Amino acid sequence: MEEFEEKAKKTFSDERKEDIWVLIISAITVILGLTGIITKNTFPSLFF
Amino acid sequence: MSATSQGGFAKSIPGLILCMVLGWLALQWDYSVRGWQKDFKECQKIVKTSAEGVGSTAPVEEPLPEEALPKEPLPEEALPEEALPEEALPAEALPAEALPKEPLSEETLSPFDAYKAKHAEKYKEQLALYEQGVLKKKPKKPHILKQDVYESLIATNEIPFKFKFGVKMIQFQLTYVAVLLLGGMLIRNTIGIPDIFKPGTVLARPIIKPGIVLLGGYYVWSNLFKVGLVALLLVIIFIFGTVVLVSFLGRKLKQDEGLIGVMAAGTGVCGVSAAVAVAPIVKAKPRDFFYAVGTLLLFGTLALFTFPYIGKALGMSEPVFGAWVGTSILNTAQLVAAASWYGHDSLLTANIINIVRVGFIPIVVLYCIWFYLVKGASAEGREEKMNAWQVIIDKFPLFILGFFAMVTLNEFGVFTKDHQYIFGKQFLKIFFAIGFAGVGLNIAFDDLKKAGGKAFVIGFFAASFKAILSAIIVILLGTAVFQVQ
Repeated sequence: MEEFEEKAKKTFSDERKEDIWVLIISAITVILGLTGIITKNTFPSLFF
Repeated sequence: MSATSQGGFAKSIPGLILCMVLGWLALQWDYSVRGWQKDFKECQKIVKTSAEGVGSTAPVEEPLPEEALPKEPLPEEALPEEALPEEALPAEALPAEALPKEPLSEETLSPFDAYKAKHAEKYKEQLALYEQGVLKKKPKKPHILKQDVYESLIATNEIPFKFKFGVKMIQFQLTYVAVLLLGGMLIRNTIGIPDIFKPGTVLARPIIKPGIVLLGGYYVWSNLFKVGLVALLLVIIFIFGTVVLVSFLGRKLKQDEGLIGVMAAGTGVCGVSAAVAVAPIVKAKPRDFFYAVGTLLLFGTLALFTFPYIGKALGMSEPVFGAWVGTSILNTAQLVAAASWYGHDSLLTANIINIVRVGFIPIVVLYCIWFYLVKGASAEGREEKMNAWQVIIDKFPLFILGFFAMVTLNEFGVFTKDHQYIFGKQFLKIFFAIGFAGVGLNIAFDDLKKAGGKAFVIGFFAASFKAILSAIIVILLGTAVFQVQ
C-alpha cells in the first residue's frame, strides 16, 4: 500500500511540475506570436 | 509517471530529440500531402477547362467533379485552400510579382505567365468586390501550380501520380496524426526502441498540453459556456453512471471494494491518472491495480484507432465526434489524438469536454477519501479528518488555468485571426506532433497484455457501454449543441 501511496504522490507531483512547464512554454509561444517574432510564415518555412 | 522522476531531464534528451525528429517527418508528410491535394484540384480545373475548349489558362470556379471529391467530409485542416485562411497557402501560392500592375496583353506572355496573370486578375477583381462590400467573405489567394508542373500538364493532359496519391491519403485520413500513432506503435512493437530513448518518449507525451492551452485562443467565453454546460452535464452523468455500473458489476462478480474503486475512477474519469490517485485510498491489491491499468490502456488504444473510423461510418459531424470522444476516451493524449485525427472542429469540442472532465479529478479523489476513509472510519467509530481545500489544490490540473487565460485574452480581442491561426493550427500541430510521437512509441503490446482478471471484464464492459451510450446521446443531441464556432 505504501508503494501505491508513493506512486500516487509522485504522479501528482510530477504532473504539477509538467503543468508548470506547459504554462511556461505556452506563455513563451504566445509572447513570440504577439510580438511578431513568429508569424504565419514561420511554420511553412520549416518544411520543404 | 513522468520521465523526470526516472533520472533527471538529461536522460530524457535523446528520446525527446527522437520524438521531435519523428514529429517533423510526420508534419513534412502532412504538408506535402496537403500540397499535392491542392495541386490535384488545380490540375483538374485546368484539364476540365481544356477539355471543354474554354482555353487552358482560364481560371474556373466550377466545383470539382464528384469522383474527385473525398467520399466523407474531410477534416477542416484537410480542406482545399478556399476553406483555409490565406496564410495556409504554400509560399508559392501567389508570388507578389504575379500580380500585374498594368493590364497584360496575352499575346506577349508565355502560357504559364498568362495562366498566372489571369488568376491574379481574377483575384484582384474579387478583392475589389470585397472591398466594395459586394462580397461578404474575403477572397482567398488562388493556388498556382509550379511552372514545370503546369507545362507538363498542358503538354500531356495527365495529372501527376503524386497529386492523386495526396488526395487518396487525405481520403484515408492518413495525416500526421495517423502516421505518428501507427508508425510509433509499429516501431515500438517490431524493432523496439533502445533504452536510452525510453525516458524521453514518456516525457514527450505531455507536450500535447501546450497545444491544448494554445487552442484556448480559438474560444470566447460564450461558446465555452454553451458547449461547457452540456459537457458538464454529460461528464457528471457519465461519471456517476459509470460508478454505479462498475459497482453493480463488481458486486455481481463478488469483487472487493478496492478493485471496484480503482475501476470506477479509471473508467469514469480520467483513466490511469485517476486509478493511480485512488488506488491507495481504496486499498486496491497490486494485482488488481495492474490488471485495471492494463485494461484502461487496452481500451484507450483500441478506441484511439477505431473511433475515427466508427465516427465516419456513423456519419458523425466533427463537433458530434468531438463530444463522443470527449466523453468516452479516458486519456487526454488519446482523446486529443482521436479528435485531431477527425478534424479541427472535432478537436475544439473534445477539448472543452476534456477540460471539464480533468477538472473533476480532484472532486473524484475527494469523494473517494470521504467514502473510503472518512465514512469508513466513522462506521468503525474512529474519526478521520479531511482537508478538502488542500486536496483540491494538490490535485487540480494547473494547465487548465493557461487554457482559461487564452480564452480570456481572446475575449478581450488580444488575438487577431492570424494569431489564432498561428497558435491554434500551426504551433498546435508542432506540439501535438511531438506528443503523438511519444504516445505512439509508448503503445507496447506487452503492457496491453497485462489487462486481465475480473478487472478486464468489469472495465471493458463499463467503458464499452459508456462509449455506446454516449454515442447515442451525442448523436441525438446533434451538431448544433456541440458546435463551438
